[in-house]
Amino acid sequence: MRKLIRSYTFRTVVQGLITIWAVMTFTFFLIRLMPGNPAQIKIDEYVDRYGMSEDQARQQVATLFNYDPDQPVFEQYVDYLSDLVRFDLGRSLTSTETPVAEQILRFLPWTLFSVGLALLVAFSLGVLVGLAMAYWRGGLLDNVMTVFASVIYAIPDYIIALLLIMVAGVQLKLIPVGELYGGSTQGIEPGFTVEYILDLLKHAFLPVFTYVLATIGGWMLTMKSSTISTLGEDYITVARARGLPERRLLTAYVGRNAMLPLMTRLAISIGFVVGGSAIIETLFLYPGLGRNLVLAIGLRDYTTMQGIFLVIAISVVVSNILADLLYGWLDPRVRLGGDKGTE
Amino acid sequence: MKRILLIVALFALVAVGFAPAAAQDAPDGIFPGTWPYSLPPTHHLNLFAAGGPHDSTGIGNFYRQLVVMPFGFYRWDSATYEGLLAESWGFNEDNTKYVVTIKEGTWSDGTPLTANDAVVTYAIGRILNWADWNYLSDVVAVDDRTVEFIFNETGAGYTAERLIMKTRIAPAATYQALADEATALIAAGKTSDDQEWTDLATKIAEFRPDVLLASGPYTYSLEDIGDSYMTLHWQPNSIYSGSVQFGEIRLWQGETESTTPLVLNGDIAWATNVYPPATQQAFVDAGIRLVNVPLGYGAALLMQHDTYPFNIKEVRQAMAYAIDRDENAFFTNGFGATGTEYMAGVLDTMVSTLLDADSIAKLNHYDFDVDRAAELMETAGFTRDADGKWVDAEGKRISVEYKAPAEFADFLGASTNAVEQLNEFGFDITLRAIPWQQTAEDIRQGNFQLSVWSWAGGNPLASRQFFGPIQRFNYVGLSDGQKGMNFPMEFEYNGEMINLDALINDVSSGFDRDAQAQRAGRVALILNDLMPFIPLNIISAAQPFNESILTGAPADGDPLYAAPLDDAWMLKLLLEGVVRPAGS
Repeated sequence: MRKLIRSYTFRTVVQGLITIWAVMTFTFFLIRLMPGNPAQIKIDEYVDRYGMSEDQARQQVATLFNYDPDQPVFEQYVDYLSDLVRFDLGRSLTSTETPVAEQILRFLPWTLFSVGLALLVAFSLGVLVGLAMAYWRGGLLDNVMTVFASVIYAIPDYIIALLLIMVAGVQLKLIPVGELYGGSTQGIEPGFTVEYILDLLKHAFLPVFTYVLATIGGWMLTMKSSTISTLGEDYITVARARGLPERRLLTAYVGRNAMLPLMTRLAISIGFVVGGSAIIETLFLYPGLGRNLVLAIGLRDYTTMQGIFLVIAISVVVSNILADLLYGWLDPRVRLGGDKGTE
Repeated sequence: MKRILLIVALFALVAVGFAPAAAQDAPDGIFPGTWPYSLPPTHHLNLFAAGGPHDSTGIGNFYRQLVVMPFGFYRWDSATYEGLLAESWGFNEDNTKYVVTIKEGTWSDGTPLTANDAVVTYAIGRILNWADWNYLSDVVAVDDRTVEFIFNETGAGYTAERLIMKTRIAPAATYQALADEATALIAAGKTSDDQEWTDLATKIAEFRPDVLLASGPYTYSLEDIGDSYMTLHWQPNSIYSGSVQFGEIRLWQGETESTTPLVLNGDIAWATNVYPPATQQAFVDAGIRLVNVPLGYGAALLMQHDTYPFNIKEVRQAMAYAIDRDENAFFTNGFGATGTEYMAGVLDTMVSTLLDADSIAKLNHYDFDVDRAAELMETAGFTRDADGKWVDAEGKRISVEYKAPAEFADFLGASTNAVEQLNEFGFDITLRAIPWQQTAEDIRQGNFQLSVWSWAGGNPLASRQFFGPIQRFNYVGLSDGQKGMNFPMEFEYNGEMINLDALINDVSSGFDRDAQAQRAGRVALILNDLMPFIPLNIISAAQPFNESILTGAPADGDPLYAAPLDDAWMLKLLLEGVVRPAGS
């Protein structure tokens, strides 16, 4: 038992759980410090749009919303925790009685699909191109791709998205923007059919392309730098002196070792997949968790915000733990160093 | 054999004669509009719960009227109602009841529209504390199609009439059981303080009907709500099914940033979003017509009256003179805003309807005049320093902060320009853009010196037009402890003690339109003179209307354009079939 408690894995997992609780608590109080609350926003809407008096609007909203803004925050926190230990994320405040878990299950797969696919494509392409840039450094490919990667990496994803829409979509008419918006075409029956899968890919094209463009530069430059560093290692010189073919040298010796630092970054990036990219999803009307989060923040739907933040926190923490464990597994020196004298 | 053939022919004739309306074909056209609806499961089909079709996250206050209709449509230009579901309507002789007779018609499932639908709607509304019940004591079905709204002691009036006429009537076929529970609860003498009442309110909120029965010509199911657009399908059983010219209403999801390319590409033919001036120009350049329709409000410069020198009338008047409101309007919303002309506390388009002629003639228009503004500043004891800034007798400049909502492009534009103009005139104002929720909260708490929010409102009654911001963001209309603008509402004026709050509340009471206009005129003159806030401009939605896709929008300046979205011109013209696919 003592051995388990003092083990690297156990300590990492406990640290992760504490982190999740801390993030959850922090976000719980933080979102309540934001100006306005769901009831007040609805009251303002009723007063502005429907010409109700403040009292009339307040009266109606009190019944419409299952939320009492005057309840002490600590009491709300205790209620929230007691629901949470029963795996109940609560009910939406702005869509009365709609479970938050139902919303998350509805929108999460879309984000996982689009951002996950983009991460996979960007990572694979970035690693390959970065490796080539380093191997043939100083050449035309390296020069062109370094400039490209630096420029594209400096442009925020939402600017790329807007340029795609306005230039390629509206001005040049290269992309049928309206047809590509959303997650799938209305009327196509969901299922494992070629038609539906192709439709999913068609609709995911714009967000995935944007994510890939926005992130590939980072992967390319990191891989290039890591590869250059690896190429200077003694064992590469020895391998070359042994007369190993270049292809084997590149894949088995350079590529593998150069990818080591990128694996950690990849694992951490996987954690951020869940958060998606709220602005990109909003711009392309993609039905992911990020867009839902933006809507929930605008309406101050506390329970929905809390649920989504919790899922994001869990995914980031879990992926960090995986990164820790993965790195330890890939590079035994790290594991031994971390558990010096304990294992 | 002949006899058999005769009987068959007879049956065939009868069958044709009694063929249901469903045999009617759907019109061909698709109406491409937009609304920022939410997706299921947030979006559901309960008409009485947040997230349902009636909510702003459902299909919003315009499109919902094409599905579940109210009794009437209000003409802002003539202050009259036109019937939608209602065949006749009006107060009874002694003004103790409002009597509505419903048109002969059916719901989308073929069941008849009846007075019971209204009774059911209001029974549930009572549990949900609808504002209507502040004016009513009961709602009774007199016969199949006549319903009486019985006023409480103080309820009779045009405010209650508007609430009744604009309430969307829900189908008894869906909500009868819940309404029965509500009726039983009320009969048992329960009130909103009782647990049973709260339980029923929760039960109503949890209810999720499978089907949305429509009285209007369109309906939808949850399957029709797509990620990028949702479809309202034509249904054959409405009173208006024969006149509308579109088989589908396609509503693209999203706000301004998402819908802009869709408008430019022709995917959206009519939009009600507020687009920034540069986008409006892009629409014009693309050959898309812009239809100017007031949103029912404008940007007002608010002062916190505990802050020196905004507690001095002459300073406020000087500020009104020192701002070129036409310029300010352009910076607010490009082609979609106009400088306020009458400065009367009611929308310019409503002045002739709501105020008496004598008062209108006496209104000071505060035409842009920096010389007059300077005179007023000097009257208030200010002089200019070496930098041209106004200083008081103690040499103190008017150095204040102006809080504006960062996300509202129109209010921020109005604020930036107002600050620039006032600083040029000699003030020393620093603009601070903060989140809109924080701006609203700071105004409510009185934690500001200058700020911006809306004035007038989307209600055609004078009392409601005056409401914002002099009541809404002032201590009289706020919760306990919030002081807002803190403009004193009881004061001596022209040798007489007046209570401005009471005067505004009383403006629209009674049934004598002339007396109402005189009372409204009096309030307008007081606001016009004291200038407790500066109504900078009136914002309109420069609605893109793509005439290569749609036709039927009246010429600019048509009286129908006087109404904001709840009584929008498009509603009437869609239902009447005037707006139709281009080329049809």
